[in-house]
Amino acid sequence: MKKNFTHVLLNRSLKRLLQYVLIIGVFLIGPSWVSAQTGNVSGKITDASGLPLIGANVVVKGTTVGTISDLDGNYTLTGINPGNQVLVASFIGFANIEQPVEIKANQTLKIDFTLTEDITSLDELVVIGYGVQKKKLSTGATAQVKGDDLVKLKTVNPLQALQGQTPGVNITSTSGQPGETPKINIRGLGTIDNASPLYIVDGVQVGDIKYLSNSDIESIDVLKDAASCAIYGSQAANGVIIITTRQGQQGKSQISFDAYYGMQSRAKKINLLNAAQYAQIMNEQHLNSGGSTSTMPFNLTNLPAYTSKGSANTDWLDEMFEKSAPTQNYNLGITGANEQTSYFMSLNYTGQAGIVGGADKSNYERYGARFNAEHKLYNDKIKIGQHLSVTYEKKKGIQVGNQYSNTLRSAFNVSPLLPMYDDNGKFFNTASNDIVDQNGDTYWNNTEANPYASMIYNNQNLRNTQKLVADVYAVVDLLKNLKYRSSVSTEYYSEDYRSYTPEFKLSIYSFSDYDKVTQNMSKGLSLAYDNTLTYDLNIEAHKITAMVGTWYKHNDGSWMNGENTDLGFDDFGHAWLSNALNTETVLKKITGAPFENSMFSQFARLLYNYNETYLLNYTFRRDGSSRFSEKKRYAPFHSVSAGWVLTNESFMEPFAGILNFMKIRASIGQAGNQNIGDEYMYLAPIKFTQATYNFGNTEAVSENGSFPKRLSNEDLHWENQKQIDIGFDARFLNSKMNVTFDWYNKTTKDWLILAPVLATAGTDAPYINAGSIVNTGVEFQLSYTDTKGDFSYNITPSIAFNKNEVKEIPTEDGIIHGAANTLYANSTEFYRAEDGHAIGYFWGYETDGLFQNTAEVQNYRNSEGTIIQPNAKPGDVRYVDQNGDGKINLDDKTDLGDPNPDVTFSLNLSCNYKAFDLAMFVSGVAGNQIVQSYRDHTNKYSNYTTEILDRWTGEGTSDRIPRVTNGNINYQFSDLFVKNGAYMRISNITIGYDVAKRIKVKNFSQCRIYASIQNLYTLTKYDGMDPEVGYGLDNGSGDKFSSGVDLGYYPLPRTLLMGISVKF
Amino acid sequence: MRTYYIFIVMGLLIAINACDLTTEPIVDKLVGNYYSTPDEANEALTGCYDALQLIWSDGVAFPLAADVMSDLCFGGTGASDGEGFPMLDQFDLSVSPADLNVFEPNWKNYYKGIFRCNTLLQKIGNVNWDGQDELAKQIEAEARFLRAFFYFDMVRMWERVPLLTVPSSANTPQSEPDLTYQLIASDLLFAIENARTETYANMPATDFGHATKWAAEALMARVYLYYTGYYGTTDLVGAVTQTDALAYVEDVIANSGHDLVENFADLWPAASTYEAAEAGNPITEATYAGETNKEVVFSIKYTYTSDYNGNTDGNHWLVMYGLRGESYAASGYGSGWGACTVLPSVYSSWPTGDERRDASIMAIDEEGINYTKANDVKEYTGYFTKKYTPTCDEEGNSIAVNNGGVNFMIGQFQDYFSIRFADVLLMAAELGSTNALDYVNQVHTRAGLTALSTVDKDVIFEERRLEFAFEGLRYWDLLRYDPSLQYAANKVAFSGTVETGAAEVSKIIDGNNLVKTRGLFQIPNNQITLSNGVLTQNPGWE
Repeated sequence: MKKNFTHVLLNRSLKRLLQYVLIIGVFLIGPSWVSAQTGNVSGKITDASGLPLIGANVVVKGTTVGTISDLDGNYTLTGINPGNQVLVASFIGFANIEQPVEIKANQTLKIDFTLTEDITSLDELVVIGYGVQKKKLSTGATAQVKGDDLVKLKTVNPLQALQGQTPGVNITSTSGQPGETPKINIRGLGTIDNASPLYIVDGVQVGDIKYLSNSDIESIDVLKDAASCAIYGSQAANGVIIITTRQGQQGKSQISFDAYYGMQSRAKKINLLNAAQYAQIMNEQHLNSGGSTSTMPFNLTNLPAYTSKGSANTDWLDEMFEKSAPTQNYNLGITGANEQTSYFMSLNYTGQAGIVGGADKSNYERYGARFNAEHKLYNDKIKIGQHLSVTYEKKKGIQVGNQYSNTLRSAFNVSPLLPMYDDNGKFFNTASNDIVDQNGDTYWNNTEANPYASMIYNNQNLRNTQKLVADVYAVVDLLKNLKYRSSVSTEYYSEDYRSYTPEFKLSIYSFSDYDKVTQNMSKGLSLAYDNTLTYDLNIEAHKITAMVGTWYKHNDGSWMNGENTDLGFDDFGHAWLSNALNTETVLKKITGAPFENSMFSQFARLLYNYNETYLLNYTFRRDGSSRFSEKKRYAPFHSVSAGWVLTNESFMEPFAGILNFMKIRASIGQAGNQNIGDEYMYLAPIKFTQATYNFGNTEAVSENGSFPKRLSNEDLHWENQKQIDIGFDARFLNSKMNVTFDWYNKTTKDWLILAPVLATAGTDAPYINAGSIVNTGVEFQLSYTDTKGDFSYNITPSIAFNKNEVKEIPTEDGIIHGAANTLYANSTEFYRAEDGHAIGYFWGYETDGLFQNTAEVQNYRNSEGTIIQPNAKPGDVRYVDQNGDGKINLDDKTDLGDPNPDVTFSLNLSCNYKAFDLAMFVSGVAGNQIVQSYRDHTNKYSNYTTEILDRWTGEGTSDRIPRVTNGNINYQFSDLFVKNGAYMRISNITIGYDVAKRIKVKNFSQCRIYASIQNLYTLTKYDGMDPEVGYGLDNGSGDKFSSGVDLGYYPLPRTLLMGISVKF
Repeated sequence: MRTYYIFIVMGLLIAINACDLTTEPIVDKLVGNYYSTPDEANEALTGCYDALQLIWSDGVAFPLAADVMSDLCFGGTGASDGEGFPMLDQFDLSVSPADLNVFEPNWKNYYKGIFRCNTLLQKIGNVNWDGQDELAKQIEAEARFLRAFFYFDMVRMWERVPLLTVPSSANTPQSEPDLTYQLIASDLLFAIENARTETYANMPATDFGHATKWAAEALMARVYLYYTGYYGTTDLVGAVTQTDALAYVEDVIANSGHDLVENFADLWPAASTYEAAEAGNPITEATYAGETNKEVVFSIKYTYTSDYNGNTDGNHWLVMYGLRGESYAASGYGSGWGACTVLPSVYSSWPTGDERRDASIMAIDEEGINYTKANDVKEYTGYFTKKYTPTCDEEGNSIAVNNGGVNFMIGQFQDYFSIRFADVLLMAAELGSTNALDYVNQVHTRAGLTALSTVDKDVIFEERRLEFAFEGLRYWDLLRYDPSLQYAANKVAFSGTVETGAAEVSKIIDGNNLVKTRGLFQIPNNQITLSNGVLTQNPGWE
């Protein structure tokens, strides 16, 4: 399956060409048959995967002797003059091979050719939305990643494989938990709410692409600039990702099978204090906070022991992680085509267990099937086809949310003195009065709970998602050059979720007095109807392609949630609502509602070129959405782009030796976004829930009330993005080197946000259009491919720079405030969106080392002589008094960095030598910060990481880590929490060996055995488990702009896997 | 030519105007067509009552702040917590300079309540009452009572607040307090005229919690006493005289059917379990009088259905008063966060034999509570409050959680008795009732004390201190004692030591800070910023 979409199209035109060439070839070659004393060569021409190439050329260099390969890829050259000759094998889209041979009279040499794809081929096609275009004529900033390159990376979600593949597309995992969708920002974060790109799979808009298997993907095209995106108008402000799935190839049918199995483990360990260190630090805290030596929390020579094994020394992080968790994938594909019909079928299974808690606690499985086919009717006048994909996903997960809903986080805070089990083999309950230590005391801290047991009890759940994505289309040649395409597509999903919590008690705060079941179900169906009309007009060197179209989409569905207690059976397997016996209304909840929205669009595009040298594109789209009031329902989006192929100009001829191709392009355009908030955000609905009042004398029996939910805003309209892009594409050195460069300036304005209204308004703010973000950046990608005999290699480095700045926040203070109480209990706001800063920047105190002695405290004064921190003690943090007013308060908080990388980079290396192949992929980011908060500083008993061993203990001992105290005086949000998030990761190294290239087995064109390591090594200064922290917080009002917050982040695993890939 | 036609056809295609994209909400009604039937008006009224559960659910609850700022207790809370509560206690922003928004949630939630009342009052004319004029008046009366209730809290806390009588999102400046008091007085007058008049005995069990004429009359007296005391005037903004105010409370005493419950401790869940335990009975046999007892003239009703998905039905502030980090099952005390640590001098100030001391204060040593978390408490004194505190069962498990509450923090459900009949009696005495001595003695002797022979202002104020300690009333009594605030300043002043995290630290409350701030609360800084300076800060909190 080496062939791709490009070649499907090429093959079709090629066929006709072949016929001519064959006839001409016969005449040209014919006369030489008669001459005697000549030699012959025969053999087979295949592509790198072993598929026969039909119609490939083989000629004897410098002669007219040549031939074309047949349907099996076989060729025979006759009538070659004896002596040293050079054979040249060529095929469109593949690199030529020149093979020196010694021809002997009356002998037939056997020479096979394996042609490799020439990825720098000038006739490569790119997907541009409602069509394809020759890459050399494209005037937009787009990037294409081949499915084969994705498959190599062996990721569960295609987005993970896309990470680092194209400059300007920043993909960050939000959690290492299997089945989680990573965060994707194309050219910087452009809005405070939903910044996901638009996904188009085979022309069908879908919500996400995690249902796809890498092996089903032919190519992914990323549309980055407004000119490319504008054809998707109102939904494309965050970029567009177009996926084309595989289609049958003319030629022999082929069956491919790929399987891998791997083990995953934790890539990096964090050390927490052990029992002895912990007890010592607790004692020191006590003394530093004014406690007396007679009331020390711990006797260091006699630590409390609550089990017969003596005092505990539990490494809770070790307990939480699974030593090795399996990941596996099996994939079967069948493809084929004849004159009338082409098809692609596949079946696949993917399973990945989580490294936290193992497959019992976090696990993801996906079963998928696909059937794509296309049929030609009436002499190719009509083509009809369909894509059908059915997926079934099963997912279990632990909580990966904020400090209150993060399963892993508690392991950082619980003391190592807590044993896992009591003497009866049960999880240790710190609130138990029956468990005592050697002195007869009950557990010293009855508020802390065994984090492992807590994970076991609180994370029994299963989510099933069934999804069907399908479309049927017809392409009709109405007249010469006039094509009509019509398609009906659907995306249907149905999801159910169950969770179960048993009765348990681990501490005075961590317990459940009853067992509980939750059961949720939801389903949704979207139907879309697309129609396009395309007309090609060629007048001499002027080429025009005009396209108009309409699109209608309707989406509706419903959901229902229920929960109840007192199960007749107490296990997850029986956790269904009908098994719950409780009849009290307060513990029994049921809710449900429908949803519905629709859109209608009209669009047009004009592609023009003169002599393939001067290029001009214009795109228009008018979109309507039910999410807006009638007066603001429709909005137009325009874009214009132009290109100039310099290398077609005569004045460039002197440079033809090195510069093979050079195109300068520029674009300007608009796109929109509406995928925010609820469906009736312009209206002021009355809210009937959450408005009850408990009149009367019976608890929990409340009367229903109502209130207006929010203010209305009938003027609400589309979020709008404007972008300018200037770039060039160039090829050097016989097209071995390929360079793409882009500069862009992207302004997203009129965000759809909940306005921070004055409290006196008395209800939720209306949605308004306000605020803007400017992203400016540069993208650069270089690719170098070469072949030296049996050795071929490719090096592709890329780098992208982006600067992000927020403007025009619609409030008096110019700030959208971040959530408080999220880093640790009662913590304050620490991130925000503010005029003149990067979005989600970290806002807190700047520190200036530690006070080493009391003199330093006394001498730390402002210009008026006020002591700035009069209550500070030696070893405390010195906060910078930014405004010099002699006190440290909110006015002194400042910009401490932001989570958005300034630079993203990657390096792809691959090489082949005979049957061996080796690939390495490196990616990274720089210029971003991470907020790390593992410890709950308002709980003095929280454990520390071993970093605290370097704390201040006296003058000169440390200028960075403050003395330990019971309070959180030194942990006001400051730059002590903010860390450098730059990293460079060796994401993947794969080595493969194709047995079929060595040992020829009939019908087997490939039998490749491979091994790879993912997440092998990360070069970073960040001391957390994983520097790739996409996780962020929110205020619950749709703000999704926060990221880079490590509260006990579920890290990406290190994976070692082996697999086999067979084609026959 | 053909090309030409093709382009025309393509042009026509783009010119088609769209299909109808209008969809309608299915589960929500819209503001435009709501408020049309009596049922909808009633629902909207319940929505206004729901705001009562909201106002103290976040930030610092009004009664809790008032207790901390009074002469009864310190800030307390956890040893590792911030200094927000001591800052309130000491009327001194420099104690915790970054705490500029402690009351912002309260400010927001009060305005939510006012918005709901204003919307209902504005739309009430659109309702087709179908001849039920009584009902129309009654719903309007209750909405206006609630609006007065909200504004009265706010005008006491912040004094100058934006005064909205219709829904508005405009940037409204603060009003002078007299205008706010005028609205409060007129709303309450309307409520007195039109609210329901059932006596306590005749009130249907399911309707308890609705504001009655009696509640409006009692609240009017409270407003009168506070306004005239704090501002040193003789009447309430020309609307209510002392005679009027007295007449209102006398009406409640004579006609409402409300009365004192016999045993003071029965008013409070934890006090009644303590009493049962002291008597050697299981705490399950406590004689708690319940939430709809005859002494309750008006209460904020809470229940345990609060969750983190937006349902705010519980008493979210109760947990703050609880014994920090530990429950004490023997007496049924549930665990909480240890705010409002009681001054030892307050504990010792009760007259011998006053049953109210043990019903009001949880005394760690005196009660023999085996409390192991003293080291975790800020400003620990050995005394916590007992009237509003979480309760637990005999195993130490939270009663709120046993009942199905989400957790011990938001699941608490003890009602707040806003106006007790005891208050009505003492207000009548203070307003110069001819039965003043009898009224005071009814309250005094219930506490197990012998009857007094004379009463005057100081006797009544002392009685009020002992009777209403930790109910959020004392602070306002201090402020209204004399307009110069010297009385209050002297009372709250403190100099000594407290224990924080097992270490002794000095604690000073400067009475002058109360005078400087005039006892007012800090206006949330975020709201000042959001208003672009249209709102201004109260003195002493800049």
